[in-house]
Parts: sequence; structure tokens; C-alpha cells
Amino acid sequence: MVDVAVVGAGQTKYGNHALGLKGMWAEAALNAFESVDGDFSPSQIDEAFIGSIAFGGSQLGNTAALLTEHSAMDGVPVRRVENACASSGFAFRDAWMAIKSGQADVVVAGGIEKMNDLTPERKRFWLGVSGDTEWERLAGLTFPGTYALMARRYFHEFDSNHDDLVHISVKNHAHGAMNPLAHIQKQVSFEKAAGGFMVADPLTLYDCCPTSDGASCVILAADHVVKQFTDTPVWVRGSGASSDRLALHDRPSITQLKATAEASKRAYQQSGITPRDIDLAEVHDCFTIAELMATEDLGFAQRGQGGAFAREGRGMLNQGDVTINSSGGLKSKGHPLGATGTGQIVEVFKQLRGQVADGRQVRDAETALTHNVGGSGATCAVHVLGRERQ
Amino acid sequence: MTSGTDVWKGYLLAWDETYTLIQSPFSKGDDRVFGADSDYTTLAIAALQHRVSLGDTIECISLAEGVNGSIFTMATDVDVADESTYDSCKWDLLIGDDATVVLVQRDVQIELPELETFVEVDEDFQLAIAGAWEKELQEAHVSQGAYVSRSQYNEGGVARMALSGQQFGELLVWPPRQLNEKGDREDGRVSLTPTGNVASWTKLSAAGAPSEFSLRAPLLGGLTTVFLDLDDGPKGVFLMVDDEENDVKIGDAVELVVRRIYAQEGMIRYGLRGRII
Repeated sequence: MVDVAVVGAGQTKYGNHALGLKGMWAEAALNAFESVDGDFSPSQIDEAFIGSIAFGGSQLGNTAALLTEHSAMDGVPVRRVENACASSGFAFRDAWMAIKSGQADVVVAGGIEKMNDLTPERKRFWLGVSGDTEWERLAGLTFPGTYALMARRYFHEFDSNHDDLVHISVKNHAHGAMNPLAHIQKQVSFEKAAGGFMVADPLTLYDCCPTSDGASCVILAADHVVKQFTDTPVWVRGSGASSDRLALHDRPSITQLKATAEASKRAYQQSGITPRDIDLAEVHDCFTIAELMATEDLGFAQRGQGGAFAREGRGMLNQGDVTINSSGGLKSKGHPLGATGTGQIVEVFKQLRGQVADGRQVRDAETALTHNVGGSGATCAVHVLGRERQ
Repeated sequence: MTSGTDVWKGYLLAWDETYTLIQSPFSKGDDRVFGADSDYTTLAIAALQHRVSLGDTIECISLAEGVNGSIFTMATDVDVADESTYDSCKWDLLIGDDATVVLVQRDVQIELPELETFVEVDEDFQLAIAGAWEKELQEAHVSQGAYVSRSQYNEGGVARMALSGQQFGELLVWPPRQLNEKGDREDGRVSLTPTGNVASWTKLSAAGAPSEFSLRAPLLGGLTTVFLDLDDGPKGVFLMVDDEENDVKIGDAVELVVRRIYAQEGMIRYGLRGRII
């Protein structure tokens, strides 16, 4: 079966953008086109998948057609992929499958979200839109609340407390401070993060990702055309995905995400590697407790040891077992919902090709993982990428 | 025991064989007033539930104006009398202007007791909450994004207020699902016991609450939500009541009571809330 590689990847800076949907997407697409080493023309694209929740921007239907129209992709079969915050993680998987199936050679996967053009009132209606509306929302929950329930239960079941989450926040801000594309480019002290404004007890402001505008775009190619574009492709070695029940109350446990565990198991099996082989991972830390649980669900720490993993700095850049969120993660780089999944691919594409500057480069990076979660864990896409084809 | 006074579902209770009186425990000066999430409908439901707890079988009652009949029936599975069925009903639900309801056997003369226990409420707070409900109830208060529509709310109404679940073989399921694990329709309903223990909880700041609560959450100092292991097996998430101290801990025993949740599109959404027992 055909192998698939990433040959180009680009994104906008995440944050509060003056640009609207069209401008942000054009910027991300252009950055992706220009990142291709060899000659590349948008006319070579066979298919496109664009993730978005349509939070803002107000083009609620046929968003993808609008975006391709403004990025020289006229006529390309395109669709919007919606899977909450995992929209573009799944768009990337769809693109990979399109090439694997033999129906396409060059495919674009991307994502976009405009979150800061809504009034605060309207924004709050949209936050939590991907959770269980009928039961959780009527219990006053949006995502800070659902993840707070997970955190408190985790602390109850295991040897962990809020300080462990503070370590994650401090780490991701330290990484993001070096990333010129990050929404929040500043370090925070342990004391400041520990004493943040309480959003949903026990989660403070420093446990929560910001609401960001942003777009990201990735170009995938079949093995038999890769040479046209680059001598240093990043190979997609495994793609795993899974789903779980939408509401927390329908799950056997709220201290782990089954969809993450299953998706990563499939991705590892497909790639023939283990968690120990991963040099860097972009992990879906919409809330710090999400990263803590993910380190266990992805196999970097034993069950119940995620707190110790964070406390001991085992995810710090070039210092621990595996560099987690070299970009700053959702916490610091930002979380423009639909753009986040392919934004993670942009980061590992650059890391694996040694193209990250300013002391943020992961040393000797050979293999990377991306982990993109929808909602409170109802959907999840995990990808393993590497410099080596197998 | 054939009569008594007590606290029931967070309200004051007096009863004998012929009646149940439910009264709000809050006062403002000489006036009894509703708690922050109560009204005549929630008091009426509590009254009916009390009669059921005594072993009475009540198939139909006449409801005074001011009680939402469809919500009452969803929560209790008791029909509300109309003109054609009025004569066949043996119980009447009467309301007073002092945040009180009485469920009484028809044609029985009763002398109601004076309930002396009450909690004085802060007048400014009470006025602010009442004003916020009034604003929420305006037709113009509509969603600008995700929300529970009328039809979606009504579809889950019985499950929401009567804690009605399903039995899939050995497995008790709540909230109910459209199809069972074999892919078949499952219409049978099982009422779950409305009690459980706190497996987790959070208190949301007003800024972190959904917009449905944006008018009242700041007045209440945020919202407290619990994740419950229900005594019958299933789990659920519920707001705690707005009119009691919610110093929640994991392991606390909680009972579920019907209260107002929020209002939208001119319609009050009622549901189950937790209170520590």
C-alpha cells in the first residue's frame, strides 16, 4: 500500500487576529505552499479537507468552498470536517486515507477558527458547544467544568494535586515563550500559575487554554510523487482514531480518556513503535489536567503516575523522557479549535526537519506524535510521524 | 405516624392523612418568599412526591393556576385534570400567596398549621434573583449558539425530572437511549432512586458558566455542579440547589429534587438538582 508523507506545512500566528477567515486561511495556505522545498503549485492538489467548528467568522455553511476560492484551489473537491477540537486532526486523517486509498496523490488538510469576533455573551454560548448539550450544559457545565470534574476525581484516586497541573502550565508557557507563532509568548512562575483566578475549582486561569484565532495548513503526498517536492519529507507512520461516549456520565472512568488510549494503540501498532521511541509529542492540553491524563493514555507514564511525570519535569524540552508540547501546546501556543490538529502537525514537521530556531529545537528528533482530542474526549486522532519511512 | 411536620425536598412540610402542605422556608419580613430556584411548580411536585412516599396512589389531581401542568406530569407521572376528568380526581392542589401549596383530598375540611421555622433572606438578593428570572423569561432571551431547544428538552423531560431510565439486560441505563445494545427500540422505563454520592464536583465562576446562567450566576457567586454515582448504578451530572450552602465533598450523600434550572425563549427549563442530605 502507498506510503504518505507531509511535504509542506504552515500556519498563522495564533492569537487575536485582525484578519478574517479568508485572510487567515490564505496566510496559512501560502506558508504551507512556500514551505515545500521543490516546485509546487496549488493546481496539483487533488483533494482538500478543512477542519472547523464555525465558531466565528459567520460563514456557517460551505466554509471550505469559500476558503479554497481564496487560496488558488478552485475546483478542488473540498469539504469542512467537524469533530469539535479534533476537527483538523480528523481532516489530516481523512487526507491520509484519501492517499492511502489510491484516489489522490496530493492532498491538503487544514483547519481554521475565528473565535474573537464574537461578543463575550455570544462566545459563551459557543464555548462548550461540543460537549453534551442536553445533560451537561443543563448542569451548568462548559469545558472548564467538565475537565474540573476530571481533575478533582483524579486527585482523589491518585497521588496528585493541583501543584502537578501548575508544573504543566509553567512548562508549556516556558516552551511557548520561545515560539513566535504562539498566542501567549511569556513565561509564568510557579507561584503566579498556582494563584491564578479560579475558573472552575480546582482549575485556575493558568490551567485553561486561551480562545485563539488561527489557521493551519498541511500538504500530504503519496510516496511516488514525494520526490517532486522534497528530499526531506516527514512520513506519516501511523494514524489512529477512536471515539467515546459524548457525556462524562456515560463513561466507566473520568480519569482517563478511552478514545486517546485506543487511538494511540492503533497508531503505535501501525507504525511499529512504542511510546519510548517518541522524541516529541504535541499533546492536546486544552486544560492542564488533559495533558496529565494524556501522558498516561499515550503510554508515556504508568496509570496514576501522570502527576509524578509532570512534577519531575519529564516532559520538559530536551530534559525529560519525551518533549511534550515544544510549541507551548494549546495552553500557550493557543487553541483555535478547528486549526489545532493540523497546527500540531506543522510543529512536528518543522521539528523533525530541524527547522525550529531560538533554542526550541528538540535535539535529534526522529519520531513525533500528535494527539488531538474533540470535546471532553468523545473523539480523538493520534498520528505518529517520522523522518524515516519505516 | 399519621401527621407531622418536617423538612421535605428542602421545603417545610406539614401533613396528615388528608393533606400535605409544602412551604418555602424563606421569609422577607412578614412574607414567605420562594428560594432562588423554586416556584409553585417545584413545591407542587414536592407535595405529590410526599404523598407517594406515604403510599398513596394518586392518578389524577386538579392543579391551581400557577403550576406548570406538563412539567408536573413529566416529574410525577400523575395526570392533571381537565374539565372532562375533574370529577374523577380525588385530590386538589391549592396554592397560597405565601409561597405555599397544599395537596388535599377533595371535600375534606382541614385546618392548616402555622409553620414557624424560616430563614430570613437578604432583600436585595431576593429582588435581584427575582428580577433576573423575569429577564430570563422574556421571549427575547434566546440562544446565540448551543442550547437545549424546546423539543430536545421535552424529549428528555421524563428522564430528566422523574429520573426515568432503562433496563438493558443486567444493565440499568440512565439517561435513556433511543436503541438498546442490540439495536432495538427499548420503550420500557424504570424509575431510579433519586439519591447518590458525590464522585466529583466543581464550582464554576460566573465567568465560566454557560450564557444560559449569565444573569443569575454572578448573583449566586457561581454555580456548583456534582458528578454523582447514583445509588442504582448509573451516573449523572447535576447542579446543586441555589438556596442552600453547598459545601460539597467527594463521598457526600445527595438527594435530587426538581427545581428551576434556567429560562429561555419564554420557557422555564426545570430539572433535577442536588442537595446534601
